[in-house]
Amino acid sequence: MLVQLCNTLLMVVVALSITGVINRTRALLAGRKGIRFAQHIYNVRLLMRKGAVYSSTTSILFRIAPCIYLGATLMAFLFIPVADLWPLFSFHGDIVLVAYLLALSRMALILAALDTGSSFEGMGASREALYGALVEPALMMGLATLALFCGYSSFADIFADAQQLDMNLTVIMLLVAYVFVVILFIEAGRVPVDDPKTHLELTMIHEVMCLDYSGIDMAMIQIAGWLKNAIFAMIAANAIAVAFCFHWWFATPLAIIATGVAVGVVESLRARNKLSRNVTYILTIVALSALVLLIGFLLTQNIEI
Amino acid sequence: MYLYSLLVVALIIAAIFLTPVKRKVWVATAFIGMAAIGAIALSVMAFCNGKVELTEFATSLFGVERLSVDILSSLFLCIIAIASIATVLYSRGYVANYLKRFSPAHISMHYTALVALVISMMFVVMSSGGFSFLFAWELMTISSFILILFEADRQEVRRAALNYLVMMHIGFMFLVAGFVLLANHTGSANFEALTIYFKECNPLPIFIIFFIGFGMKSGVFPMHIWLPEAHPAAPSHVSAIMSGVMIKTGIYGILRLMQAIDHDINLLYNIGLIILLSGIVTGLWGIILASMQNDIKRLLAYSSIENIGVILIGLGIAAVGHAAGSNLIGMCGMCGALLHTLNHSLFKTMLFFGAGNIYSKLHTTSMNQMGGLAKYMPLTAIMMMIATVAICALPPLNGFVSELLIYIGMFNGVSDGHELLYSVGGIIALSLIGGMVVLAFTKLYGIVFLGSPRTTHVAESEEVDGLRIAAMAIPATFMLLIGLFPQFIIEPISTVAGGVTGGDKSITIEHFTPTLQAVSIAGWTLIILIALLYTLKYRAQRRRKIEVGPTWGCGFTATNTRMQYTGESYAEGVESILAKAMTKEHVDGRTIDKSEIFPTKHSYNIRHKDKVDSLLGRWWVRLMHRINEYVMRLRTGRVNNYITFALVFLVAVLLLTLFNLM
Repeated sequence: MLVQLCNTLLMVVVALSITGVINRTRALLAGRKGIRFAQHIYNVRLLMRKGAVYSSTTSILFRIAPCIYLGATLMAFLFIPVADLWPLFSFHGDIVLVAYLLALSRMALILAALDTGSSFEGMGASREALYGALVEPALMMGLATLALFCGYSSFADIFADAQQLDMNLTVIMLLVAYVFVVILFIEAGRVPVDDPKTHLELTMIHEVMCLDYSGIDMAMIQIAGWLKNAIFAMIAANAIAVAFCFHWWFATPLAIIATGVAVGVVESLRARNKLSRNVTYILTIVALSALVLLIGFLLTQNIEI
Repeated sequence: MYLYSLLVVALIIAAIFLTPVKRKVWVATAFIGMAAIGAIALSVMAFCNGKVELTEFATSLFGVERLSVDILSSLFLCIIAIASIATVLYSRGYVANYLKRFSPAHISMHYTALVALVISMMFVVMSSGGFSFLFAWELMTISSFILILFEADRQEVRRAALNYLVMMHIGFMFLVAGFVLLANHTGSANFEALTIYFKECNPLPIFIIFFIGFGMKSGVFPMHIWLPEAHPAAPSHVSAIMSGVMIKTGIYGILRLMQAIDHDINLLYNIGLIILLSGIVTGLWGIILASMQNDIKRLLAYSSIENIGVILIGLGIAAVGHAAGSNLIGMCGMCGALLHTLNHSLFKTMLFFGAGNIYSKLHTTSMNQMGGLAKYMPLTAIMMMIATVAICALPPLNGFVSELLIYIGMFNGVSDGHELLYSVGGIIALSLIGGMVVLAFTKLYGIVFLGSPRTTHVAESEEVDGLRIAAMAIPATFMLLIGLFPQFIIEPISTVAGGVTGGDKSITIEHFTPTLQAVSIAGWTLIILIALLYTLKYRAQRRRKIEVGPTWGCGFTATNTRMQYTGESYAEGVESILAKAMTKEHVDGRTIDKSEIFPTKHSYNIRHKDKVDSLLGRWWVRLMHRINEYVMRLRTGRVNNYITFALVFLVAVLLLTLFNLM
């Protein structure tokens, strides 16, 4: 029980600090001093204390949706182990449950966006639904690669026993980690898929869906966003940890720093994709993860390549 | 015995025709209720004893063939019983709108056909094969044909019904051919004889013949094109029972085929491959086209095709798994497919009921004329929400449980290295389907129930009567039970699955009980978490200033409802990638031209028509026209010509017999 609580605590730490690392990296690369490390937490605390404005078009669903969004993400969050620690929940086949919980959270936000009757939010919802659908195979294939190498279908089992150091495994796991970081870009609406830092209406996917949220609802959506980041960052870090026999004390900072820096660097150095190129970008990742899985398969078959 | 059954038939028809027009529904309810109770009793008996023979109860018209209920039939009997009771209860409110428009005889015909459909479906799953099976199958087709024709005064309804009838008979011909081949070789047309046939002859041709016959009913790609035509034309409760249950009889047939394969690894493997591939294609094609539809019932019809695809993926994985010698994978796929068959019958009936509620108030099924219905029909909106979450296979509802089982089977295939490529193909297809289902159904729900009304009719609509909501609550209850307590369903389902492919059921029970217990706990935790978060938010907000204002319009204050996203624009992303490859665009009307300085009123309507439809439609129709041209030349209208034809025929027969050619 202590181990599980420790695991959850570490995950919370990861969730809270990734955004800080991203902001700090961006500031450093731009030559700015940058905002406080924990500024995003203060912002959310401020949102928590605010009132709210609801659109008269909306129904009750609009008010419940942030709770479903956060609840489902939190539930998925509780399944993710930190390297070899045991998570709070785990069962045989939980990788499917996590993927579908994330889909549930996505669906809640899409419906809330459509509930406002705004064409901006409809636009965001439509794109989120499409990209979410396209990225799903990449996610599943990444998980399948993990299952193929580690021989289990629950997160805890997959990451529990660090394997012998093996060149093939290391390469595959690094590629899997790369796939999961890119999935994070897509799921969290980061550059190059979308830019969360532009003025809200110009942000085309994720942020535009929450235009009508304010106060506590907005805070919930932001927290859920952190949790989502932590989920993908941790899976990526775990993949690397499996490859190098790292343990939890190594995987936690790895998740924070590697992912945070990756997102920060990409955001500083790249422009956002033209929207019509996003589909190609996502399909490339799907193809890459299919390729990784195929190579993984060939390696397990002991075929010389 | 014949006399007895004829008497029962006469009694049913007489009772329905003689009661006053408003009470006919209750007579039909009574008959369907009796049939359903009987079916459930039989399935419970079969479940306890393994098999129930109905020799003394119903001697068949076809001599040796008997009715019997085994474990597989018992699952389907339960599915039919639940859905048909919900359907007939729902039909009261729906048909009530038509009592003035149609004559009492028309209404009686409808209810007679409904009772006939339910009973014939029960006979389909009870008959042990052969010609009694074909008889029930044909009765099922004809009664559903009559049911589709309910609004026969609309031309598109007649066209769709005829289309349905023709397609079903093509399928029927394949089944007849299959059974004749079977009877010709083994002397018996029972499903048991298939085992012998599979052993002694080349099994693949007959399998494909049967697969086409059954696939036609289920809507397997490319034989699915009748579904999106028939469902919008049929009344909603008929669509519900057809889509929820009747197309599953095709799955039942495929299961019987799989049951007949007895330990022939090679054959099982080939068949699994065919089923898996057709499942992947059917599922993807169905869901991608579903997301492009702007008609509620057409969208639901395509989603049924997709669900048939998911079921077939499960069956394919089951067959491939068994062939590879992995009992666990085989049982996972089979349990998932069987549970999905049950689940789909629950949520799809509910979704069609919801579509019926909307149609009976707005008199349209076009999504772009709706919007904001949640405020005017709150109960329907809640029910549809449950069904939407379930069909998207999201936790904590039942759709998730069945897809989880299929996934676990495939992930086991991956992690054990059994038949990896097929497992991976299945995973890719199923995850893409899962993502696209969310897109299609957020479109349906969002455009129809959320936002603000797009037409004034919406604001005048109101909630439907309580009985229809209660009818929707029947499947909803089962869905919640399966979704929240999945650990109790696994034992019966794996017993049935073991009955089909002869797998060991203890392995799945042992394997899945902890998993499904965990799923149940996770589901409850999720609900508690969401409730907790909402309570906390509610309590915190009590002390804050909560305002209500217009939707943020980015500086535009006078946003109007027509600026909302429509169904067409919501699916624009998918259409831009796939529309050209999969559909043919049909445009009615035209858009406003740039050169028009003072635009007049325009109407513009796009429909993405299935490419398979136009591919099959074209040469088929042309061929029929050509044949008809030749045949029509014989129709001269003169009696002496006709007498000559008869004479020629008689002479020909005489000559043929003389030369021993016949």
